[in-house]
Amino acid sequence: MSTSPLKRLVIGHLRGSVIPFTLPFEKGKKLTVIYGENATGKTTICDAFEFLAHGRVGSLEDRGLGKTNRYWHSVGKSASDVAVTLETAASTCTARVNRGEVVTVPPGTRPRVEVLRRSHILRLIDARPGDRYAEIARFIDVSGVEASEATLRELIRDLNSNRDTAVAIVQQNEEAIRQFWESAGKPGTDQIKWAEQESARDVSAFQVEQQALGKLRAAYQRVADYPEKITNANQTLDAARVAAAATVKHLEGVLANAAEGVGELVSILEAAKPYLEKHPNPAHCPLCESAEKVAGLRERVSSRVVQFASVQKAKRDKQVADQIVQAAERKLEDLKSDLTRDSKAFEAAKTAHQWQPSVPLPKQSCPIDLTALADWIKSTSQLSAEWQEAEAALQSQSQFVSTLKQALKTYKANVQAQKDLDRLIPRLVRALEIILDERRKFTDGVLKAIAAKVGDLYEAVHPGEGLNKISLELDPNRRASLEIAASFGGQLGTPPQAYFSQSHLDTLGLCIFLALASLDKPEETTLVLDDVLASVDEPHVERLIEMLHSEVIKFRHCVITTHYRPWKEKLRWGWLQNGQCHFVELTKWTTIGGLQLIRSIPDVERLRQLVAETPPDPQLVCSKAGVILEAALDFLTFLYECRVPRRLDGRYTLGDLLPALNKKLRDSLKVEVLSGSGTGGVPVYNTISLAPILEELARIAQVRNVFGAHFNTLSFALLDADAIGFGQQVLLLMDALTCPDTGWPRNSKSGSYWATAGESRRLHPLKQPT
Amino acid sequence: MAENRAELGCLMDTPSGQLASRILKRLIEEKLFRPADEAKLLSNLAEGKLKPEDWRLAIELAQSKEKKE
Repeated sequence: MSTSPLKRLVIGHLRGSVIPFTLPFEKGKKLTVIYGENATGKTTICDAFEFLAHGRVGSLEDRGLGKTNRYWHSVGKSASDVAVTLETAASTCTARVNRGEVVTVPPGTRPRVEVLRRSHILRLIDARPGDRYAEIARFIDVSGVEASEATLRELIRDLNSNRDTAVAIVQQNEEAIRQFWESAGKPGTDQIKWAEQESARDVSAFQVEQQALGKLRAAYQRVADYPEKITNANQTLDAARVAAAATVKHLEGVLANAAEGVGELVSILEAAKPYLEKHPNPAHCPLCESAEKVAGLRERVSSRVVQFASVQKAKRDKQVADQIVQAAERKLEDLKSDLTRDSKAFEAAKTAHQWQPSVPLPKQSCPIDLTALADWIKSTSQLSAEWQEAEAALQSQSQFVSTLKQALKTYKANVQAQKDLDRLIPRLVRALEIILDERRKFTDGVLKAIAAKVGDLYEAVHPGEGLNKISLELDPNRRASLEIAASFGGQLGTPPQAYFSQSHLDTLGLCIFLALASLDKPEETTLVLDDVLASVDEPHVERLIEMLHSEVIKFRHCVITTHYRPWKEKLRWGWLQNGQCHFVELTKWTTIGGLQLIRSIPDVERLRQLVAETPPDPQLVCSKAGVILEAALDFLTFLYECRVPRRLDGRYTLGDLLPALNKKLRDSLKVEVLSGSGTGGVPVYNTISLAPILEELARIAQVRNVFGAHFNTLSFALLDADAIGFGQQVLLLMDALTCPDTGWPRNSKSGSYWATAGESRRLHPLKQPT
Repeated sequence: MAENRAELGCLMDTPSGQLASRILKRLIEEKLFRPADEAKLLSNLAEGKLKPEDWRLAIELAQSKEKKE
């Protein structure tokens, strides 16, 4: 947002501006007072600021008009003709109506403007607590921090729940370990120490022993199977031998019944058969190489083989029976060999491990002789079952240690989790306490600052009335609800609406508005006060004006409209601290001319212009100088309580006032005029004695009446230079006595002189010399 | 960086931003937060974006720093 000084406001066809109206702002002045009688267009100027800054026209609101934008433009124009431009030292911003919306060019350059209208002065006081809160929410809206605070509360709640769970699990773990401990016979004194010792045991030793037992038992089982296997093999061999003997006997019987040598013959025929299958028509006999009877040899050989089939079968049966016997013999031999191997393997398994004393082992080595083996197995048959039991015991022990170890691990993890939470949760709770504390202090601080500011402003207007103890408090039981209270009749905390007069309430409303505006980037804010002095009663209005003068310099600019005529006159005569004031006057508004501005300048400046004109007008110079001199003498005689003739109408002429400043007083009148500052910031003053000026004025004062008051032939005999000299002397007096920035020396707080604000003028003495 | 500073400047114009700054100062004074975390936590705290896990992490980091010291 910009803080650059305002240069001019141009209003085109908004409300009363039937033709474009320009309000120039005087360089170096932060306060613009716009004086005008009713219906001169003051409110149109305020509307223009509001239109530019907020896209609305507040003066039309709350009048039962509904949507007001159809009344924004001036008579005979349309909404698209409306344009308001604010030119500053740094930029220019124009607002127009576009499709019912107010848009600014360039975009995003709306100035910060706070508008207070007479009709809205009680808005904050009369508002409901919730609406009142909305007005000041911009100062105390910490909803962002509140949202973060809520997540912290959520975390604390969740962690407390987690801690409760951890405590319960720790108890469960302790109970499980206690049960293990009790089942182990409660060794030692403490279940956890016991569990730690037990868990430290090497489970792998159990597993090694268990595996060794498994191997031993398997090796034993393999050896134990041999007696039965060998018996079976012997029986099979015996049976094979019997069968083989039977086939031999059968073959002998078959051969005995056949011709001698048939056995060999069958063999020869059998051997020839494959050859003849391959060579069905041989040229000669493959055996004797004779060609005799070679024809049909194949068929004849086949026929003879068939004839000897029983011999063949008997021979084949014998061969098969012999093969079976051989296989049975080999199997038996293999078993015996395997027994030797497995017997050695058992012995190896027995000696490969360092057995616990509790593990039973065979006293004798495993024999390889079948008979001895059978006895050995008989004597060791119970061992396998015992080894199996030992294995199961080892397995159980291993599982027990593993289970205990896991239970202890879970227990320790939960104890640690509990400890971690016990350290973390108090820190989070402390963080929450800090947030609550800081939030309360922040909100209270802001509200107190606003209330104090309101009180200070109010006290400046109503000093010593004891009504400045304003308090703003949030309702603890209702969110976003603000109560306002004041001191009345010594009683604190009373609602001002109940006891304050309308005028006091109006002042309070204005003070609240100014306080809020002054706390929110005042250097960027233009204040617009639309006729807010109207309801303030006369005794307080001057102090209110002074308060406004001293307050508005904190803002970027302040525009005050008023129809309070004494303000105009006091400004005209420099009776206020008007250094920052740019005074303008509006004349009667017309349907053709619209708003009309008069350049209002202080009378002293007007006199300076008249004196400087070429050629100067003696009559105008004398007339203006005479009035100013009357004002200066009126001020001095009043300040020093000089004697003047009493009159009913209280009117005094120069003839009354000039002699009232007697010689003693004139000689003592000196003004120190601030000219700058020396080393270390010490102010440097030039001293001007008023006596020579006043004496010269007394000498030439008659020219005022001759030139400036009436038609007088005496003027024919006087020089114009005399008239101009009178004007120049009055300017000398005024330049010495008054400061263009801070007015007249009215302050006697120093105790030794009269001073202007900022002591730019020091008038001596304080009292008329006796 | 300049943008961050500008954002921080805007944030400090808001009541939430001002309050968040005061809160963080206190939390750091009481060693509940690490000074190094102030800048990154300020905007989140002020804008209501601080989650439960952010709170926990910030406190635990400060706790672990305290332990080391």
